[in-house]
Formats: sequence, C-alpha cells, structure tokens
Amino acid sequence: MQNKRNFAPIFFVGPHIILFIVFILIPSIYGIYASFTKWNLVADPVWVGLDNYKTILADSDSTFNSQFLNGLKNTLLFVVLSVPLMIIIPLMIAVSLEHKEVKLKNLFQTLLYVPGLISISAAALIWSLIFNKQLGIVNNLFGSEAVWTTTQPYAWITIIVVTVWAGIGGNMIIYRAGINGVSRDLYESAEIDGAGSIRKFFSITLPSIKFPLIYTLVMTTAGAFNVFAQPLMMTSGGPRQGTTVLMMYIRDLAFSHGESIAGMASAMAVLLGLVILVISAFQYYAMSRNA
Amino acid sequence: MRKKISISKYISYLFLIVVSAIWTIPVIFGIGTSFRSQTEVVNEGFRLLPVNWIVENYVKVLENTSTAPILQWLWNSVFIATTHTLLVVIVISITGYGYSRMKFKGRDLLFFTLLAISFFPNVVNLIPSYKIIDILGWVNTPWAMIVPGLAGMGNIFLVRQFMKGIPMELDESARVDGANDFTIYSRIILPLIRPVLIVCALFSFTGSWNDFLWPVIVYTDVEKMPVTAGLLLLQDIYGNYRMIGQLMSSAILAIIPTLILFFFAQKYFVSAINLNSGIKG
Repeated sequence: MQNKRNFAPIFFVGPHIILFIVFILIPSIYGIYASFTKWNLVADPVWVGLDNYKTILADSDSTFNSQFLNGLKNTLLFVVLSVPLMIIIPLMIAVSLEHKEVKLKNLFQTLLYVPGLISISAAALIWSLIFNKQLGIVNNLFGSEAVWTTTQPYAWITIIVVTVWAGIGGNMIIYRAGINGVSRDLYESAEIDGAGSIRKFFSITLPSIKFPLIYTLVMTTAGAFNVFAQPLMMTSGGPRQGTTVLMMYIRDLAFSHGESIAGMASAMAVLLGLVILVISAFQYYAMSRNA
Repeated sequence: MRKKISISKYISYLFLIVVSAIWTIPVIFGIGTSFRSQTEVVNEGFRLLPVNWIVENYVKVLENTSTAPILQWLWNSVFIATTHTLLVVIVISITGYGYSRMKFKGRDLLFFTLLAISFFPNVVNLIPSYKIIDILGWVNTPWAMIVPGLAGMGNIFLVRQFMKGIPMELDESARVDGANDFTIYSRIILPLIRPVLIVCALFSFTGSWNDFLWPVIVYTDVEKMPVTAGLLLLQDIYGNYRMIGQLMSSAILAIIPTLILFFFAQKYFVSAINLNSGIKG
C-alpha cells in the first residue's frame, strides 16, 4: 500500500516530465550554451566565450552587428505599431458587443473571430492581392497610387493590417468575458449618478477588467516579438531590409542553404529572449501597480 | 438620459458594422477571385465577385501533384493536427490528474517550477529543438510537429485548475470501494473534465494547423510538409500574379478545414475563453 502510493504519481506525471525535459528544458539550456560557441548544427560546438555577443553588440564592421541592430529596430517597430491596435480594437469591439441594446451579438462576433482561424500564410496571400497595385481593392477603391509592399511606410502598413486582421479574435473574447462579469448594479448606480458612457467605461469597465488587460498585454507583446510570417510573406523583409525582423535573421543564419551559423543565431535568440523577458516583467509590474 | 443611451447604441452599431465589413470583405474577395479566370482578373481589374464563375482554378490546383501537391499538404495537416490533438488530450488529462488529485512530496513545487521554466521565451530553444528533431530522425516526418508541442504547460495548467473544482470526496469514496488511481481517472474524472478537454483540443488543433515558423524550418520535402508551409512555396509557383486564381483557390482550400471545425464547435471556442478569464479574474 505504502509502495503503491509512492510509485503511482510517476506513471501520471512522469511521461510529461520526460517530454518537458527533451523538448523544453534541454533545448533551452542548450540554446544558451550554443550562444557562447561557434556551431554549424552538424559538428560539435566550439566554445568561444563572449565572442558572439561582442560581435553582435559592438563590432560595427560586422554584418551580424548591422543585422541584429536592424532586426531589433524593425521588431521593436512592429511591436510598437501592432500591440496597441491589438488591444484597443478588440476592446472597443467588446465594449460595443456588450452594449445592452445591441442585437446580433453572435453574428458580429463570428464575423470578427473567423479571420483569426485562418492560417497566417493564407491570410498573407489574400492580403497581398488586396494591396496589389493593379488588381487589389485598396488602389482601385481609394485611388491610391502606392506600390504597397515595396515602399515605405506602406510596407509596414500592409504587415500591421494583416496582423491586426488575423490577431484580434482571442483578445476580443477575453475582454467580452471580462466585461460580462462586471456587475450590472455598478453601471446602474453610476447611471443614477448621471455618469455618461465614456465615464462609465473609464471608471467601471477598465478597472474591472484589469487582470484580462494585463494578461492580454503581456501575451500579445511577447507574441509580437516573435513576428516572422507576416513580413516574410507580405514584403520578404523589404524594401532594403526595412521590414526584416529579428526572427527572419535568426532563421536565415541557422537554417539557410549555406553553412549554418547557429552559434551566432543562438546569441541573437538569447538577446531577443532577454528583451521579451525584461519587457514582459516591466509591463506586469507597471500595470499591476498602477491599475 | 434615454437619449444618451440611444446615441451610444448607434455608435456601437456603426462601429461594429464598419469593422465587420472590413473583416469580412477580404474573405469574400479571396473566395470571389478564386472563381475568376486570369484573363478576367487582368482585364476587368478589381471586382468583389466574378463576372463568370469558373471552377478551373480549383481543378488545376488539385491536378498539380508535383510542385504544389495541395491535397497531400491538406492530408499532412489533417494527420498532424488530429494526432497531435489526440495525444494532447491524453497527456494533459493524465498529467493534470497527477498534479491536482494525487499527493506526493514536492508536487506543487515541481508543477510551478515547470510552469515558470515554460514561460522562458521559446525563441531560445528553437535551434536546439531542430537539432533534437534531427537526432531523433524526425526531420520531414509528421512527428516533428506532433510531439514537441506535447511538452507545453499551458493546457495542463487549465486542466489542473479545472480539476481542483471537482470535490475530492468523489475520489475518496471511490477509493473506499477499492478503486485505484487509474480507475478514478478514467471512470470519474475524465467524464467530468470533458468541457475543458474539448476546449484544449480545439485550440491545439487550430494551433497545430496554423503553425508556420516551425514547419518552415523542419520540412524541406514538398511531399511531407503541412499546408501552411506549402502556401509559402506557392508565392513562387503561382506567384508574381501570373496565376492569381490558383493562388487564391489554394489559400481558400487551406482555410476550409478550420472553418468547418469552427462552425461545428462554435460554442466551445467562445466558452473557452470564459474559462480562461475566470481563472485570471
């Protein structure tokens, strides 16, 4: 009996622990280790200490340095442009859907949720055509003359549009659930005190959904730092690497057709990971203190 | 007072209608274009719906089994996503049972340690993960996409949380009747956690189906890749706007399976997130 009690948990949590070690723990540790090595993914890595980091961060003659700085700049630009929209637009939709006199809630929600189920590569194919100069909707409808995906700032606009179009569904439903959970009494007593819609939104709705807001902000931001598919498929990182993000450089260095430069790519990945960690921690701290 | 509410109602409607239109038109445009001939697209320019509806694009796309075998890609995606989802359901329910209903030393410490590690940005483990898949001989096989995702902690967290809401008295009385942990898991707990398992299954399926970066890395064999990675190749094959209809019909074929799933399981997709925010709030 005593024995049985001791061994049974191994059968329940053990298999997953093995998966966790093989597919999360070991690769994470190895990823950090590899960033201090010269590695081509085939031979054994050769320890080089901080050389990769020195090259990436300080050697202004090196292409790795210019790639990293350009990739980081573009990734940050993407985060700054996309994250506010991915929070504010679904929040406005959720508030509108939860308006007590609005009907057809499920129809609107379905129309807005479905694009999120479309894989990003299919979405990018459709939107590339929409932004096409001769054949697309944008130029024909609005008479714009822009060659969207190959000139700035239009290249960024196409990337952000696809991202927002495909990325708001989850946050929208989280906010709806949050707003739905706010007591009706709060709104009614605010109305008796003469509060308008805007006042009610800022004084009741926003504070009540603090946790969903923090959660979605942190998760959306961390996700945005991993951006890869949209620039790859919409602009191929152009014009003149103006939309090449860090994930694209990391993938190219580690997995492109020439010899792999996986050590250098790992160092870039670790630096990107650090940026994500620091910003997530900062967001969590700032929001839970102020909100 | 009454007037104020009406204005906000109309603003809400206006906003919802405009946004819904922007969100819907691209899909209609994509579907419409997939039924237009190349000559019509080039000569008539932009139209939401075709002048002459033709199915030729779909026929050609399905007939191309060499450079862009889209049926093979769709089958690969179906096999990968379905197998992955079934295994996820098994792993998370068994593991969740272990972390919520069994007592062993250091249980919660272990759980939260794994959870904390899993928050570590996964860009760091991307390159070594490829190496591990290579060592296992899984490059260009479905297992490269089926297995690694089973290690995640998010769904286990949800299942554990859900199981904590089930009274322990159920287990205890079953144990008095001589049931062991496996019986309690399969006969009592598994039926009760169905809702959360359905939700996790749906998100695992769509997540696996729509994954992009990882399949682009681990599949180089055209025959073996899932449809999301295949669509990247199409930009070269049907690209430069030479075969627009084919490009669009491929994109539409790629999104049909997840849409069908959504329309059958709509209420679960939405309840999903209620459960999510219930935990956080």
